[in-house]
Amino acid sequence: MKRKMLAARLDLADKISMISARRGTLYDYVNDVLEQAIRAEDLGLTLRDVLDDRWMIKTARDAGFTVIPEKIMYDLTESAYKRVGKEKMTGLWYETGQWYGRYYEDLKKFETSVRRYFWDVSEFRISLEGKDTVLTCLSSKFSATYTELFGKFLEGALNALGYSLSQGEVSKGIINLRFVKSLDK
Amino acid sequence: MSEPDSRKHKLIRAPSDLVSKLSQNASRQGKTLYSYVSEIFEQATRAYEMKRSLKEILDNYEILEIPKEAGTIYTPRDVLDYLIQKTYGENGGEMVQLWYQTGKWYGMYLKERFEKPLEIFLRLLQEGRWDLNEVTMNRDKGKVEFRCVSAFIPQERTLLLQNFIEGAMHSLGYMTREKNCFKGIIRLKFSQ
Repeated sequence: MKRKMLAARLDLADKISMISARRGTLYDYVNDVLEQAIRAEDLGLTLRDVLDDRWMIKTARDAGFTVIPEKIMYDLTESAYKRVGKEKMTGLWYETGQWYGRYYEDLKKFETSVRRYFWDVSEFRISLEGKDTVLTCLSSKFSATYTELFGKFLEGALNALGYSLSQGEVSKGIINLRFVKSLDK
Repeated sequence: MSEPDSRKHKLIRAPSDLVSKLSQNASRQGKTLYSYVSEIFEQATRAYEMKRSLKEILDNYEILEIPKEAGTIYTPRDVLDYLIQKTYGENGGEMVQLWYQTGKWYGMYLKERFEKPLEIFLRLLQEGRWDLNEVTMNRDKGKVEFRCVSAFIPQERTLLLQNFIEGAMHSLGYMTREKNCFKGIIRLKFSQ
């Protein structure tokens, strides 16, 4: 088979050499990588798009998310709510939200992750209105109980990020929370 | 990205037909071959960091949207396990049924959508969203054996997930022959 020389950035070429050393020859590895890049193009994609989507699975897992059929999750929530009561359940979701607030450490990152992972949320936005930070979350799938708990989750996250709740409206499928930046943060 | 500086690049040998195809793709996108190849190598190293090959990632691309389309959602793992722990004692039987029935629906969905639903189901379990570290499937004629291992899943969730898999497999036309379940480890044998 005819061969040609390809110029590649030194640092990347070194990395590729290092990876290939664990898998076979450099030539075979480069061949495979280039074939996959062409395959992606033929599908109308770029490798970056494909990898970005795949990366999401890893970041979700690292952040402690797991998938579950939505019906099971909603049913479980209703049963547990009846069993352990409002106080414990809201406490659990609030604390979990606090954990995520600390985990992401940044309001924008938290907002992005909610949009990315919570597919059952149809609209989610955090905006500034004067000195207030306003959070809106809509989902036609949420029950009244699930909305209340998810609202607590969001409140917990924003509290951990240095925002205090000043006003809130929560009703089935609709969460509207208004926050002010805490003075000590 | 600018053209290569001879001190900062390396020459790598590649099949000539692939290089020609890459050149065409690069020029179609208004990029130099050098920058185009650098992008490809960047993504290859990213894939390596994910402990996957590019081929494997591309093979699985078509199934990335399935969990969303099939009505699964992301939830915090700790919340899920707390909810299961608090309800399982009293509602265990009902929960097992619910997971089984949901699995059945999932299996039917895959059967309707894909030519090879069993392979797709296996890849979905393997891709990492179900908290499973290792999923293997052995097929021998009409027999299928599943082995799933997880470091994260408590006993109750393991049992429920086992029922979910069983439900899906029943929809795919398999009958359970044997099942074993222990915290984080599922072994299931089916026959057609």
